[in-house]
Amino acid sequence: MARTVAIVEDDAAIRANYADILKKHGYQVSAYGDRKSAAAGFRTRLPDLALLDIGLGDEPDGGFTLCRELRAMSAALPIIFLTARDSDFDLVSGLRMGADDYLTKDASMPQLLARISALFRRADLLRDPPAAEEVLERGLLRLDMKRFHASWRDAPVDLTLTEFWLVHSLARHPGHVKDRDSLMRDAHIVVDDSTITSHVKRIRRKFQAVDGAFNAIDSVYGLGYRWNA
Amino acid sequence: MRLTLRAQVVLVALVLAVIPLVGYVHVKQIERLLREGQEQALLATARAIATALHDRPQLLELRAGEPASGEMALILRSLARAESRIWIVDRDQRLLALVGDLKKRSASEEPPDLLTRLVHPVAALVLDRPTEDFDDSLPESEIASGPVAASALQGVPARRWRQSPDSRAVILSASHPVWAGDEVVAAVVAEETTNATRSAYNRAMEQVIGLTLIAFVAGALALLLFASRISTRLVRLRDEAEAAIDSQGRVKNLLAGSAARDEIGDLSRSFSTVLGRLGEYNRYLEAMASRLSHELRTPIAVVRSSLENLRLQLLPAEAGVYLGRANDGLKRLDTILTRMSEATRLESLVREHPRERFDARDVVRGAALAHPGKKFEIDVPAAPVWLRGAPELYAQMLDKLVANAVDFAYDGKDAGSEPIRIRLEPRGADAVLTVSNRGPRLPQAMAGKLFESMVSVRARDSGPEPHLGLGLYIVRLIAEFHGGTAQALDREDGSGVVIKVKCPLDSVLST
Repeated sequence: MARTVAIVEDDAAIRANYADILKKHGYQVSAYGDRKSAAAGFRTRLPDLALLDIGLGDEPDGGFTLCRELRAMSAALPIIFLTARDSDFDLVSGLRMGADDYLTKDASMPQLLARISALFRRADLLRDPPAAEEVLERGLLRLDMKRFHASWRDAPVDLTLTEFWLVHSLARHPGHVKDRDSLMRDAHIVVDDSTITSHVKRIRRKFQAVDGAFNAIDSVYGLGYRWNA
Repeated sequence: MRLTLRAQVVLVALVLAVIPLVGYVHVKQIERLLREGQEQALLATARAIATALHDRPQLLELRAGEPASGEMALILRSLARAESRIWIVDRDQRLLALVGDLKKRSASEEPPDLLTRLVHPVAALVLDRPTEDFDDSLPESEIASGPVAASALQGVPARRWRQSPDSRAVILSASHPVWAGDEVVAAVVAEETTNATRSAYNRAMEQVIGLTLIAFVAGALALLLFASRISTRLVRLRDEAEAAIDSQGRVKNLLAGSAARDEIGDLSRSFSTVLGRLGEYNRYLEAMASRLSHELRTPIAVVRSSLENLRLQLLPAEAGVYLGRANDGLKRLDTILTRMSEATRLESLVREHPRERFDARDVVRGAALAHPGKKFEIDVPAAPVWLRGAPELYAQMLDKLVANAVDFAYDGKDAGSEPIRIRLEPRGADAVLTVSNRGPRLPQAMAGKLFESMVSVRARDSGPEPHLGLGLYIVRLIAEFHGGTAQALDREDGSGVVIKVKCPLDSVLST
């Protein structure tokens, strides 16, 4: 059975376009133009994944409310924010509401599709544990490539999809400098340097929350970042 | 010449100098009246004695040179005034009697009041103080040929002012004839010094001088204080207004706007309002990039998703060309958006970014890595250059500086041949980072504006890359984050441009 992706987006053209593309990629799509109809729809039937805009019509934070409601209904439901807002504040708020990732609207369709399929894969694996695990281990770091789950010193580190991909990109070849472009490619994003900087800053902070002495990510000024084995 | 407000008020205060002048004229008037009164009184005395003698002609038959008889002396003394001298001459100008003394006998004077004592030294300069120490002898000539006595012997009362023989006092004499029947038998002359009037005059003058001086000083002081207060407030307003806008024209802090309910308060408040509006306008300009990138993102998403849908359709072959072009255009729009949001993001990033201690040399050494095709000449000192801030941001700033230098080096004629020079050196308490490239000079008109948001000095058609003039704005943001300043200069020989970023060194000693 086809998976259902819910799109909540107040701009009719974008909503229709995304719905069309997702349909062409084999997803079933339910599109909503405002928070109320979306909430009503979700109560009738929970989608398999939700794409939320933050500003919905005359509710500037409608997406956040919706995200909270969805999270309350299902802890496992993948949620992605797709919005025109790119401030760190919105990003952090969005992730704190329990979203799995945060994309700005200048993200291309392939980037979005990569996230959607990755999140579906993870959701599947959570339902029925796989026979074989695909794990990347680098010293104290352990990356579960199927569940997109990271741990450090056996303690889980709660990373978003984008952050997970960034850590994976760095840790795959320890000691090698990854420049910003290849990091962006690996994480399926196109952003400016400052955004990469704040992503790395956030990743470091999450690892440091688990282990105060964490310093495995080196900045190589002018070039990029490097995983310290 | 700069005439300060204070100096102007002092000039205006000179108007007050009229007060002492008026006082002086007034006292002069009083002195004239006093003198007249004295003349009249003296004349009256002379007349009274003459009348008394008229009734007793036998008294005049004394021989000259002999002292006045008892009765004569009695009359003279009873009619005479204090401190006056009276003498009588007969027709042959022989002195018949001489009574009284011009000098003051009792030296008991009222103790001067405080004001008088204060004014005394000043008054002494302008006033002629009467003295009791003068020659009061009656010169022979005065008796024999003095015009006063002579006039009285002719039958006409007279009065006259004369100097004492030693010129230390002025003596007023008044005469009156003594009639016997139709002929004059003798003349009575009464004399007095002007010391009494003089003293009264002096006292009045001292009072006037004292009072007017006090009025003048108090008035001038009050005016001066007032002027000082106004000028202090104005100076403070000026300083505040100057401090409110930095050299790059940004409103740093608003004026408090004085609560005073006068014109200066008004001025301060309107300054405050004007600065507030200017600040809002600046913020509006700076927020422009953010708002634009936000507003543009949605329509661009519409275009992008439409194109992506289109690509999934079966399209004629030539459609691919147009699809490609549309995609190229979209990519450029994306670049613009990314640049814009980079600046905005940085604005919020620097607000809360944690600061750490780092060696700027490490950052500078990596600068060339990002531009492998270019030639660089990197010059760092042997000792560490410690800064307090964020190495990532410092690196981003250096990246913008290098990108800027690379772009402008292209515009030069033989740009490829000369490397871009990056130099880091500690200078005093600052770490000075300079990035210098060969190329065109800075346009004069843009000096000081280069580091503002969305200001670019590039020619309109300068290649495929969009230029929003945000690079140097980012440089400034990061330099300010490190407590420093950025400055663009022409090379001394005019062959290119130097951008200089000065950040304070971290003063904490490394352990």
